[in-house]
Amino acid sequence: MSGRIKYNLLGIAVALTVWELVGRALGTDLFAPPSVVFPEYVALLWDGQMLRELATSLRQMIVGYGFACLIGIPVGAAMGRSRLWDALLHPWLSMFVVTSVASLVPLFILVFGTGFMFRAAIVFAASIWYVMLTVYHGARGVEPRFIDVGRSFGANRWQAFWEILLPALYPYVITAMRIGLVHAIRAMVVAEMFIIVGYGGLIYRSGLSLSTAPLLALLVTLMLIGVTANGLLREGARMIAPWYERRVASVSATQV
Amino acid sequence: MTRRLNTLALTGLSLVMGLALWEWAVRDISRVVFAPPSAVLVRLATDIASGVLPLALLGSLATLAAGFLLAVALAMPLGFLIGRNAKVAAMADPVLNAIYAVPPVAMVPFLIIWFGLFFEARVALVFLMSFFEILVTVAAGARNVDPTLLAVGRSFGAGRARLVTRVMLPASLPFVFAALRVGLVRGINAMITAELFLAAVNLGALMKHSAQRFDTAGLLAVIALLCLVGLAAQAGLKSLEARLLPWHVRR
Repeated sequence: MSGRIKYNLLGIAVALTVWELVGRALGTDLFAPPSVVFPEYVALLWDGQMLRELATSLRQMIVGYGFACLIGIPVGAAMGRSRLWDALLHPWLSMFVVTSVASLVPLFILVFGTGFMFRAAIVFAASIWYVMLTVYHGARGVEPRFIDVGRSFGANRWQAFWEILLPALYPYVITAMRIGLVHAIRAMVVAEMFIIVGYGGLIYRSGLSLSTAPLLALLVTLMLIGVTANGLLREGARMIAPWYERRVASVSATQV
Repeated sequence: MTRRLNTLALTGLSLVMGLALWEWAVRDISRVVFAPPSAVLVRLATDIASGVLPLALLGSLATLAAGFLLAVALAMPLGFLIGRNAKVAAMADPVLNAIYAVPPVAMVPFLIIWFGLFFEARVALVFLMSFFEILVTVAAGARNVDPTLLAVGRSFGAGRARLVTRVMLPASLPFVFAALRVGLVRGINAMITAELFLAAVNLGALMKHSAQRFDTAGLLAVIALLCLVGLAAQAGLKSLEARLLPWHVRR
C-alpha cells in the first residue's frame, strides 16, 4: 500500500516536472509552468472574484444536479427491475445519453433565456441520463433472492422497492452520483462559456489575456473541486458498503 | 421470441406516445419557443433532401474521423501499458484523475491559442474528449483480464509475446469495444461542441443560424440528426462486436 502511494507521488512529481519544463520551453503566453501558475493562483484566491463566481455557479449547478439525482435514481431503479418500464423508457434514455450538451445549449437559450433556469436546466438535462443509466445497471444486478425473501415476509411491491431494492443499490447510487457530478460540472462550464457568465465566463475571458497563467489557475480550481467531490463520494461508497467496491468499479468502467 | 417482439412493440409504442405527448404539449406554444415533432420531421426531411444537412454532416464527420483515429492510435497502447503495469498505473492514476476532472470545454481557450479557430482546433478538441475516455476504459479492461487465463497460457508454455497476442488482447477486446463506443460518442459530442465554440462551421453553423432566426424546428432537426448519428455509431460498433467476438455475450 505504501509502495503504491510512493508511486502515486512519484507520478505527480513527474507530471509537475514535465509541465514545468514544457512550460518554460513554450513560454508563459503558450503554456505557463507551475512556478508561474502557483503565484497567480494565490493572487486569484486573494482577489476573491474567482471564488465568488465559483460559488454562484456551483449554487446553480447544485439545483440542476440535485433534481437529476432525485428523479434519475428512482426511475433508473424502476427501469432495472421492471421489464415494462425498461421497454418504455430505454429508447428515450439511449437517445438522450448520446445527445451532446453543447448542441442543446442554443435551444435551451431560446426556451429558458440566459438566467438561472437555463443553467439549472442544462445541468439537469446533461446529468440525469448518466445517473439513470448507472442505477439501471446496478438494479439489474441485484440478487433476486433479496426481493423474494422480502416478499415472502409480506413486503408489498412498494416496500420491496424502497426498503430492499434501494438499500441494495446504495453503492451504485453513489457511483451514479459521481458520474452525474462529472457531467454536471462539464455542463455547467459548457453553458457558462457559451453565454460568457459565471465561472465558465471567467474561463472564457481569461483565455483572451496575454498570459495563460490565470487560465490555468482557473482550470486547477475546477480540477480540485472535481477530484475532491469524487474522493468524498468514493469514500462514502466504501463506508456504506465496502464489499461492493470491486463491482462498483467495474460498473463505472463499462458505462454507456 | 415473443418476449423480444413484445419489447419491440413497447419500444415503438413508447416512441409514438412520447412524440404524441410532445406534439400535444406544444400545440398552443409559438414555434419560436418550441417546435412540435411534426414540424421537426418535415424540416429534417426537407433539409436532407435539399442536401444542406448531409453536406454539413460530411464536413463535420471529417473532423470527427481525424480526431477519433488519432485518439484511438495513441490511447490504446497507452491504456494497455497502464492496465498491465502496476507501477505505471500507480504513477498515472492521480494525474489522469486530475486531468479527467477538468471539463474538456474549458480547454477551448487553450486550443484557440495553440491551434487557432479552424480545422486543427476542432480535431484537437475531438482528440482531447475521446482520448481520455478511451484510455481509462482500455486500462480498466487490461487490468481486469482474468488471471486464470494468463496462468493457463503460461503453464502451456506461452512466452510473453504469445501471452499478449493470444490471451491478453482477445480477453480485453470487450473492453476495447466499450472504449471505442464511449470514445466515439464523446467524439461526436466534441465535434458539435467545437463547431459551436470555435469558428461556426458545418452543423454548428446551421445551429447558430437557426438560433439567430429563432427557428427551433431547425435547431431540433440538427439535434435529431446528431442523435441519430450517435445511435448509428453505437449500433454499428455493437454489431461489429457481435460478429467479431461471438464468445462475449452481452445481455
